[in-house]
Amino acid sequence: MNVHVREDMERHVLRADDGIVMGEDLLKVDHISLSFGGVKAITDISFDIKKGEIRAIIGPNGAGKTSMLNVINGFYHPQEGTITFRGKRRRRVRPYETAREGIARTFQNIALFKGMSTLDNIMTGRITLQKRNMFWHGLWTGPAEREEIEHREAVERIIDFLEIEHIRKTPVGRLPYGLQKRVELGRALAAEPALLLLDEPMAGMNLEEKEDMSRFILDVNQQYGTTIALIEHDMGVVMDLSDRVVVLDYGRKIGDGTPDEVRNNKDVIDAYLGVPHE
Amino acid sequence: MLYREAGDFKTTYREDNQTFPIKSERVLFWAAMAVAFLVVPFFVNSYWEKSVLVPLLVWSLVALGLNILTGYCGQVSLGTGAFMAVGAFACYKLMTAFPGLNIFFVVILSGGVTAVVGMLFGLPSLRIKGFYLAVATLAAQFFLVWVFNKFAWFYNYSASGQITAPQREIFGVIVTGPNAAPWATYLFCLTILFLFAWLARNLTRGRIGRSWMAIRDMDIAAEIIGVDPLRTKLSAFAVSSFFIGVGGALFFSVYLGAAEVTEAFGIDKSFLALFMVIIGGLGSVLGSFLGAAFLVLMPVLLKNIFVGSLGWPTDVAAHIQIMLIGGLIVFFLIVEPHGLAQLWRLTKEKLRLWPFPY
Ligand SMILES: Nc1ncnc2c1ncn2[C@@H]1O[C@H](COP(=O)(O)OP(=O)(O)O)[C@@H](O)[C@H]1O
Ligand SMILES: [Mg+2]
Repeated sequence: MNVHVREDMERHVLRADDGIVMGEDLLKVDHISLSFGGVKAITDISFDIKKGEIRAIIGPNGAGKTSMLNVINGFYHPQEGTITFRGKRRRRVRPYETAREGIARTFQNIALFKGMSTLDNIMTGRITLQKRNMFWHGLWTGPAEREEIEHREAVERIIDFLEIEHIRKTPVGRLPYGLQKRVELGRALAAEPALLLLDEPMAGMNLEEKEDMSRFILDVNQQYGTTIALIEHDMGVVMDLSDRVVVLDYGRKIGDGTPDEVRNNKDVIDAYLGVPHE
Repeated sequence: MLYREAGDFKTTYREDNQTFPIKSERVLFWAAMAVAFLVVPFFVNSYWEKSVLVPLLVWSLVALGLNILTGYCGQVSLGTGAFMAVGAFACYKLMTAFPGLNIFFVVILSGGVTAVVGMLFGLPSLRIKGFYLAVATLAAQFFLVWVFNKFAWFYNYSASGQITAPQREIFGVIVTGPNAAPWATYLFCLTILFLFAWLARNLTRGRIGRSWMAIRDMDIAAEIIGVDPLRTKLSAFAVSSFFIGVGGALFFSVYLGAAEVTEAFGIDKSFLALFMVIIGGLGSVLGSFLGAAFLVLMPVLLKNIFVGSLGWPTDVAAHIQIMLIGGLIVFFLIVEPHGLAQLWRLTKEKLRLWPFPY
């Protein structure tokens, strides 16, 4: 971790200072139910995410994990239940509004902007932080250019941090899968989020790539102080990284606690792990 | 050392962001501009003005406008002809209502009017995408042309239904009407195109351009990372229509001089502009120019060869010309879907490494 990143992190912590103390609720979902036509994707789920923690969300395919993130993002609107973010109960919002409130996200199926370079993808992550309007951008020289350079510097720190200097100018479509996942993490980090949602960031990666990604996630959490919600199938990774785990199955919550508690929970073993744990 | 990056290291982000990062490219660009602004005006005659230069400049502007909407923001439009008509009629109404207003401002204001109309017709883009949006813009095309035909107020109740550009001057130099000198109309269009190309480059190089491209590449992800889809799409419609409106105003006032809406701004113009951006390269400022050049110059060239050199009858030549250009369009779509701009980029990459390609 170089000095820049640490300075950036300190600045970030100050900026994200919303009166919520480490360890208090950053996000609370209460009695959320979501269905599509007749299909119930989520049934009466409640849990919380505390500031500064890594909160894993696990469960078999189709359990409703991605749907839960989509609800938190404001992309799906649940039929029932409430969401409280930073102590405020949230009204019905559009996804771009949750982004502005400090929620960033990566996707289960990579959702990079294929026509852009790595650099531009990550720069796009800072869209909520850039303020100059179209008039200034039309002129370019002056405030708009200064703002762009300022954000470029922040993005370069993220590029350093993720060790992707060499692919800065490469169109993302040409990158191998593992690097694309990393660029997507970069784009989410660029927003300097208060809450980072990661949907299976290590799916389809080999061991080495998983280790790198785990290291980045831990560093982000520890050095930037970012709260993280992590969906992951690899139980080893989940046990290593997360502070607390919530377990979903068929849209219901069947477990919630520390990795050890969850691992020893009978319902979880039956429903999810399927086999007795090692 | 004609085309080399060596020793051209970028030490600041500002330098890294330059429009022409390589010095020889920069030199080439400014040399071309010097020729265009300082040399060509002395040699341009009426034939070059009317068949080559002015249409090239005006269509470049229109293609640039459409490329912002379709190439950068991913919203397909078949309403370009109608938006040009909006610019043309706004120009006509402003010229006749405010004879004292400088033609430069008339043209810019016409773009402003078109931007508002474009935004209005861009509203459906929030709900419909791709093919369906194209059909909606097609409806705009027919609706607007119908409106300009139907309501005589737009053409000041003239018996022919035509609009005719009165004579106007800039700094005492006539730029519209039958008495305008070729060099004057050429320089007027060139100056406006230069300004708008600079504007397009600025808008597409930073946050605004990235938000357009984000919507184009993956609209759901774009919204989740904080791009407001409505504002972003409408801004693309506004800017695009602004360019196209200015193009339409110039097309009418400087190039045609007199126009009848169905003939001058029909659906064929919408397709022509679309072919320009596809052939030139979607999402590329340079591509807009290349595409416009290709489709403006090719017919002139072919006509000169067939009729001028080979002595074929004009109608036969015209048909063969249409077929040839159609064939070339198909060829480009198949062989190089990223257009002429991509060919140029590839050539540059080769040149950069030449003569040692490894
Ligand atoms: N947009 C949608 N329309 C219909 N059904 C959906 C939609 N999104 C998710 N579902 C359904 O909701 C359930 C949960 O899906 P998902 O949240 O993707 O699960 P997970 O991420 O845990 O694998 C599945 O049965 C899925 O088919
Ligand atoms: Mg999922």
